[in-house]
Amino acid sequence: MSYYFAIIGTQDNPLFEHEFGTSKQGGDGQAHFGEQARHLNQFVLHSSLDIVEEVQWTTGQLYLKVIDKFFTSYISCFMTGGNVKFLLLHQPNATAASVPGAGASGASTSSASRSSTAVGANPTSPQTEEAIKNFFYEVYDNYVKAIMNPFYKVNTEIRSPVFRQRVAAAGRKYL
Amino acid sequence: MQAPDDAHLTRDPTVQPLPPAASAVRLPKARQSLASDTHPLAQPEASLPHVPALTMPLRERRHTPSAAAASLFRSTLTPPASRSASPAPSSLSASSLRSPTSSPSTMTSATTLPLAGSVFGSLASGASSSKAQSLADTPAADDPGEPLGLLLRSFVPHVAVHASDDADGLARDKGFSGGLWELLRPFGERVQGRIVVRDSNGAARSWDGFAVRFVRFGEGLEDPEATAGAAQGSASEKMLSQVEAVVERHLRFAEEAYVGSPPSPSATPTREGFEDAQATSPYYALYLRRLLSGIPLSSHESFAHPVACVMAISSRNPAPIDALQRLYRETTSQGARGLPPWADGDYLRYYVLVHDEENGDIAKSMALFDQMKRHFGLHCHLLRLRSTQSAETDDDSIPLPRSDWMTAAEELADIEAVDARGDDVEDPTRYIFESDATAIRTFVREMVAQSVVPTMERNISVWNDQVASRRRGLSGRFMSLSKRWTAFGSSGRGGSAGSGSGSSSNYDAAGFYRADAPEAVMRRLADYAFMLHDWKLAMSTYDLLRTDFQNDRAWRYHAAANEMCALALLIMPQSMSSRTRLETITQMLEQAVYSYHIRCGSLYGAVRCTLLALELLRLRDGSGIDEAVRWGVRTLESRMTGPVGEALLRERLAVCYASKAGAGSQAWGSRRRKSALWSVLAAESWVAQAKHVQAQRCLAAARQMYALLPEERGVQRFGAASDFLAHLHERIKAGLGPEMASAQGSTFLGGASGAGQPTEGAGELVVDEESETLGAKRSRRASLIGPPPGGGAGIETAPLSNLQNAGVSGGEGVRHDGFG
Repeated sequence: MSYYFAIIGTQDNPLFEHEFGTSKQGGDGQAHFGEQARHLNQFVLHSSLDIVEEVQWTTGQLYLKVIDKFFTSYISCFMTGGNVKFLLLHQPNATAASVPGAGASGASTSSASRSSTAVGANPTSPQTEEAIKNFFYEVYDNYVKAIMNPFYKVNTEIRSPVFRQRVAAAGRKYL
Repeated sequence: MQAPDDAHLTRDPTVQPLPPAASAVRLPKARQSLASDTHPLAQPEASLPHVPALTMPLRERRHTPSAAAASLFRSTLTPPASRSASPAPSSLSASSLRSPTSSPSTMTSATTLPLAGSVFGSLASGASSSKAQSLADTPAADDPGEPLGLLLRSFVPHVAVHASDDADGLARDKGFSGGLWELLRPFGERVQGRIVVRDSNGAARSWDGFAVRFVRFGEGLEDPEATAGAAQGSASEKMLSQVEAVVERHLRFAEEAYVGSPPSPSATPTREGFEDAQATSPYYALYLRRLLSGIPLSSHESFAHPVACVMAISSRNPAPIDALQRLYRETTSQGARGLPPWADGDYLRYYVLVHDEENGDIAKSMALFDQMKRHFGLHCHLLRLRSTQSAETDDDSIPLPRSDWMTAAEELADIEAVDARGDDVEDPTRYIFESDATAIRTFVREMVAQSVVPTMERNISVWNDQVASRRRGLSGRFMSLSKRWTAFGSSGRGGSAGSGSGSSSNYDAAGFYRADAPEAVMRRLADYAFMLHDWKLAMSTYDLLRTDFQNDRAWRYHAAANEMCALALLIMPQSMSSRTRLETITQMLEQAVYSYHIRCGSLYGAVRCTLLALELLRLRDGSGIDEAVRWGVRTLESRMTGPVGEALLRERLAVCYASKAGAGSQAWGSRRRKSALWSVLAAESWVAQAKHVQAQRCLAAARQMYALLPEERGVQRFGAASDFLAHLHERIKAGLGPEMASAQGSTFLGGASGAGQPTEGAGELVVDEESETLGAKRSRRASLIGPPPGGGAGIETAPLSNLQNAGVSGGEGVRHDGFG
């Protein structure tokens, strides 16, 4: 499981980006994206904003669950009050982190039985949804505290190292 | 009717680069009234390609490898190649570049599509209007460059040509090495005038541009699955790879033509891309066309089965009636060249006497023709042709267009032949006498209108009454039910189609239905209905067949029936609610692709099915577009296509998303970012294949999409993504740059004299760019994302080296050359 988390401002501008891996099931907490995934993840996340803009009006919830899928990557979304979006890109199988940019992206159904019980092995399962929801809410708490900082200007990049630590901690805790 | 048509053909085509027929189809309102106007010009497709045929070789001779090659690649030739002819100021560039564009597909698609967008586009009005009508009645269907038009033109009745040696010899004397078939073929692509077709309810409908496909008798035979087994899969893979190869050759030619042509400010591919995000790329159209043009004569679908067979002899034959009888015997199932047992041998025989105008005696031929009519009934025709070869310089010669529907293998062979013979080969365009063209056109029209279509109608009604309706009724349902139960009861049925199935199923152990089995007849009925655009009958029949084939475990049949059922359902006017409808269609496609791909290993079938479904779903707007993309992604995921197909498909997905129009000023529900993403991915795979012109075009499309966003910034705030875009741009520039410069910096055309030029300029300039990237990243990104003055200008002022020495130029050059 690899995660790429980004907070997107109102102008499609990333306010905060963080990559991490799962810490459950003996995961090392590092992201195992493919070689090209760094830019590709950003492209994919950006393109999912199209879906966010459509889906956000269909529900009253802040948490929109999995809204988009790009080959093996799934994108979950959480809307905040100020039209700032939390987007989490998760790739279920680390070995299948092959990037469609290289054209290699087989339907890897051969995930080991070990990982099938892990959180996020099935990105649309209720357990995963719940875990991601918890993660989002914890990040949201911290985000609200971060933007209450008088020196922070709304809709600009969040540079606070404390915030980054807390996001990482939330990731370790839930995902 | 004859006279004005001929007048049009003889008119010097260069005077009128854009034939009126092409522009007449544009407006839906005007279409009805203009339909009669276009009528006299009943051969727009035949006459259109004359434009490049006459002008292109002359122009190309100066700077492309081969003049003959240019006419081979006509169908995708885009402005880069014709640029040298139009050094126009940029304000005029659009029109002046467009007009000499050779292929009808590029010309029409670019101009028609905005309109298609307005019809299907808006959520409120568009959806309801497009729902009410069949897709076949929408403007996109009339356009031969549009995928829908291609689809409608590809599933057409096949007419086999079986000529005696003397008739083929006559055609060979005229310069057609393939015999009479090659001479007739281009004329089948658009039958002159309107053809009236009655559907199963007896309602008459007439339509323009009816087409038949002339094929050689018994050609393209494909063995049913059981006998061929593994060879089947490889055959379909071979077919796909041939299609890929053809498109690749076209792309390579475009690259080379781009290298060879001097740059003009108006015509960099950057600007090219700015035309219309929804235009069908000519290469994609070519890919689809080649995919559809070689439908094999196979057991599981009867599109390629001959509906009629032309039996031709010439007046040179000493024993004509005997010869005809011999030809007939050869085509029967007992004959040496008869069709296999799964193909219906009971098709229409059409007897043609080719009269040699120059050496033959017309009185004798007339007498013979009368005798033929007495012997063989009314399906006879006397075709009067001159037997000498026509040259370009003859007064009344007209160029015969190359067939649009030649198979991939054929085109590949043509291209390779030109390659092998090198530069001095003469222009492959053939010429025929105008009187011959008129005679053949009349013959084709008469045959289609008076024999082929009525026969098909009659067959449809007979089969519908005798076979299909019996199955449709209540008892028919019981019959199939009871069949299923007996099958269930007999335990030996399980895996093998051996003894257990013998009694209850018509499915032969050899893996096919015999031609007289009800299933085969119904499949033919449905195919005929599909070819005559009777969607409803076709759909309901395919639907019946689906379950039958599934019960018999005839997977290839099952896949084909599912595929066609889904397509017919998509083309039909929509009546069901779109939700259930979409679900049904998805289910059918799912089964079709699964059966093709997994159960039968037929990649060709799977690719054809998904691509066609993608196109039709795209036109159905709304959630159809998301569904279309889902199929496209699935094709990519299972890696059914080769690299060229993959890049084309990515490009196409971008177009798909681009055609989803949003609602309101914020364009709610549009997919611009997605479209841009796929454009970038397409550009990436083009670069990987060193197709820089094409990559440039994709990147420009991506930029255009990003510029349309409310923020107008695209992904530039994302660091890695933005860097990647810049990097991609650099690579494209490195691929194009030296080539551009070689043409610009020197007037040489051979390519050798520029080798000695200094290369410091190249190194310097690239280094410049690099430092800029490091220093002023922001500004650099801005220039990438916005309307790119930088992109085009950068290319035009590119280094003064040429393609050959780019490899040995400075360090940067070497590094980029690895990709280029």
